[in-house]
Amino acid sequence: MTVAFYIMAAIAVLGAVMAIALRNVVHAVFSVLLFFSALAGLFILLLAEFIAVVQVLVYIGSVGILMLFAIMLTTKVTGDPTRKLLSRGWAWGGLVSGALLLAFLVPLITQSKSESNSQLSNFNPSVKDLGLTLMDPYFASVGVIALLLTAGLIAAVVAASSASGE
Amino acid sequence: MTMEVTDIVWVIVKAAMVAIALLSFSNLAVLAERKVSSWIQGRVGPNRTTLPLLGAIPILGTGLTRMGLFQPVADGLKLLLKEDPVPDHVNKFYFFLAPVASMIPAITIVVVLPFGQIIADGVASPLVLADLDIGILFIFAVSSLGVYGMILAGWASNSKYPFLGGIRSSAQMISYELSMGLSILPVFMWANAPGAETGLNLFSLVQHQQLVWGVIFMPFSALLFLISIFAETNRLPFDMPESESELVAGFNTEYGSFKFGLFFAAEYAHIIVGSGVFTVLFLGGWHPLPVYSSAISLPEGSVGTLLSIGIFLVKTFLVVFFFMWIRWTLPRFRYDQIMKLGWTMMLPLALVNLVLYAIILALMTPVTH
Repeated sequence: MTVAFYIMAAIAVLGAVMAIALRNVVHAVFSVLLFFSALAGLFILLLAEFIAVVQVLVYIGSVGILMLFAIMLTTKVTGDPTRKLLSRGWAWGGLVSGALLLAFLVPLITQSKSESNSQLSNFNPSVKDLGLTLMDPYFASVGVIALLLTAGLIAAVVAASSASGE
Repeated sequence: MTMEVTDIVWVIVKAAMVAIALLSFSNLAVLAERKVSSWIQGRVGPNRTTLPLLGAIPILGTGLTRMGLFQPVADGLKLLLKEDPVPDHVNKFYFFLAPVASMIPAITIVVVLPFGQIIADGVASPLVLADLDIGILFIFAVSSLGVYGMILAGWASNSKYPFLGGIRSSAQMISYELSMGLSILPVFMWANAPGAETGLNLFSLVQHQQLVWGVIFMPFSALLFLISIFAETNRLPFDMPESESELVAGFNTEYGSFKFGLFFAAEYAHIIVGSGVFTVLFLGGWHPLPVYSSAISLPEGSVGTLLSIGIFLVKTFLVVFFFMWIRWTLPRFRYDQIMKLGWTMMLPLALVNLVLYAIILALMTPVTH
């Protein structure tokens, strides 16, 4: 388990770093996809298989394709090689983002350490439980999101039909 | 973590068996396509290819030769032994990755596809490599990766026609994935109506269809889903990424030899897997009759298991035949027609279908309760 976690985490970090560092935008998108896949693997390790599958379905299956689609239609894929990727103040940027990351992570880590493990061992999330939870305490927010998304979908249909009718 | 070594070996053997079966079926599907096309066009089709000794056996050998059964061997050997050209202008890494990426989803989906049942002591259990609770979501997630093979091939080829094919495939896949997802929602609403606790598991869904097949209860969902699989597998009339009359050979123009063969095999593997998913979702899997009758039910033991696999395969192959029938009957759509069909016809119809069945199932609930 722990070994798998470290492998996945290493792949995720590698993908994220490559996504920033690579000059070719298409390669960068594939690095992001690598990061997404590693994240899905991490979700599986956490027994959150539903989230893992949604991660693959939404992020790798749709968002990734949309990014590729948009990038492939642009003419300049590689970018200007004379410009440096690292500007002069990169160390300050790294320092600030590192500090922010720690500021978010440290409280979370200490919190999870202090909680007893008995609560976690009883925690067995199935897709059914997830659905019931979404439908009972969180029904209002789920309903609003569903309404908004459906409205967006219908808007897409209307936009497509009026565009083709012209 | 208590898995024994023998268990792991057994899992690998089972997975290899299923993968080999899928690849053999996809080879046979290529032959079937050639035979079906020649049948539809009033030709004879492949009937000359033969093996040195086997073909000389009086009735058996000549009969098999007539049926063209040695043709896949010749096709495969031809693709293997040909020169493997890699043009200078391609991006080597992605160029090699693309055929692999197009094959992986087909083989991965088979993992969660139940293809038969074992009845022991009155309790039916599935014949499947991994009986996931979220089976259908897994299938959707993995099948959404199928487009990467085409995008990669189109982009890495670094040439006009493959590139256009790749762009078309990505747009088409995203458009039709939406209506594909919406079209099967009613099926799972039906399977999870009060009194029926199926979840998203595919085996339970098949068992749920023992009373009545999905296609009988919701034919419209089945039709929408079938059209969407045509679009997702890039079969005619939806084979925009390939469309040889406009794009030479589309996304695989720059490919030759075995890399092309892999694309080719992947296409047929996708068709077979898509037909299998359709059979599980709408054609009642291994249930022999559309409507339940107590007179005909699968017996216990190995006979029943073999029968269930047989029935499942027959139904799947009938759907595969349907795919071929359509290909040699209908002309190809224009690209704008495909996008228009997807967004202004399929999507609204799928939404209406969903709402309609939500109302119908809500009205039915007191009866089933």
